[in-house]
Amino acid sequence: MGIELPEADDTELNMTPMIDIVFQLIIFFLLSLKFKTIDQRIESMLPKDRGLAATPTFPEDFLKVKIKVFRRDMDDKEKAYTLVKIDNDQRTFSLPRGWKGRLKETPERVREYDGKIGAIRMIVAEKMKAHGGKADEVKGEIVAPPPKGGAVPHGDIIQVLDVFLNLGMLDVVFEGAATPLTNRERAARAGSK
Amino acid sequence: MATTDIVPATDDAKMNMTPMIDITFLLVVFFMLTIDLSSKEFFPVDLPYARMGVDDKPVPGEVKRFVINLTRDGRIIFKGNTFELTSPDAGIQDDNIVALRTALRQIHDSGGGSALLREPDGASKVPVMIHADWGTKWKYVQWVMQACAHPDIKIYKLQFAIKVPKPEDGN
Repeated sequence: MGIELPEADDTELNMTPMIDIVFQLIIFFLLSLKFKTIDQRIESMLPKDRGLAATPTFPEDFLKVKIKVFRRDMDDKEKAYTLVKIDNDQRTFSLPRGWKGRLKETPERVREYDGKIGAIRMIVAEKMKAHGGKADEVKGEIVAPPPKGGAVPHGDIIQVLDVFLNLGMLDVVFEGAATPLTNRERAARAGSK
Repeated sequence: MATTDIVPATDDAKMNMTPMIDITFLLVVFFMLTIDLSSKEFFPVDLPYARMGVDDKPVPGEVKRFVINLTRDGRIIFKGNTFELTSPDAGIQDDNIVALRTALRQIHDSGGGSALLREPDGASKVPVMIHADWGTKWKYVQWVMQACAHPDIKIYKLQFAIKVPKPEDGN
């Protein structure tokens, strides 16, 4: 009659499967751990009072330093470059031709690029001084005249924006680009469908 | 004399697993907490360089931002959707910008009720990070900015993702 119960002293949890799973988890988290690539950002605000419908021009009565950027020789990747003009100054700056990005360029070319940006900064500082020298009273304006201005690389625009910020000119205006279709063209296209 | 040292029986020797399991669990918890799933939103691009940025840390109390990626070949990648801007046909480009606006609006308004995400004047509290390759054509970036500021969306807070030149990068 008597059923012999197994001795309770000897029961042990088998740890092996749990440890297997836990190690798998560790490996998963280790592999999916991606180190953050972004370290910095530039904060900015779009104007609230201006929309797509109306594109008012920048009021002329503000003190401003205007930088125009153009893309030249854009059909040839090896030769394309960005031309920078500051106000009506005779000195213009051509950023290095066929720029491939900071990490892919030789140190000499990077120095050349930085040298041009430094020269642009000097002239912007001159212009700002001519306006009374107070950075917070002078606005910056960045204009990329269409159609070719639209092909200027984002990185060059950010460098120009950086020049303004570096000089303490925190109020920078971008002149709006033309949209692919004008409102009238869009309406006509919708009508023809 | 020589036989008095008794060697313990090796049959019964068992490893004590407890400390190892403790440490392992701690490791799992550590990785779970440090893993930043939001970095999945960032499409790998070569960011532009600038020196005047601020550290990319979340602002306390700020609404979670949107990340809009722009690649050098003219694609917008937003929340897993891709919008091509490279078509030579302005009509198709325009359609894709309208599609981006629709996606922005839908995702914005489905995020916890649009009323909570807007200021009294209707402007959105959601910041948008423009995570664009340095070689992206500027007009594409401008189109994205225009889409954000569109009266249907009213996102005005922008952030440009940048990198700081470092000496070890040869700069």
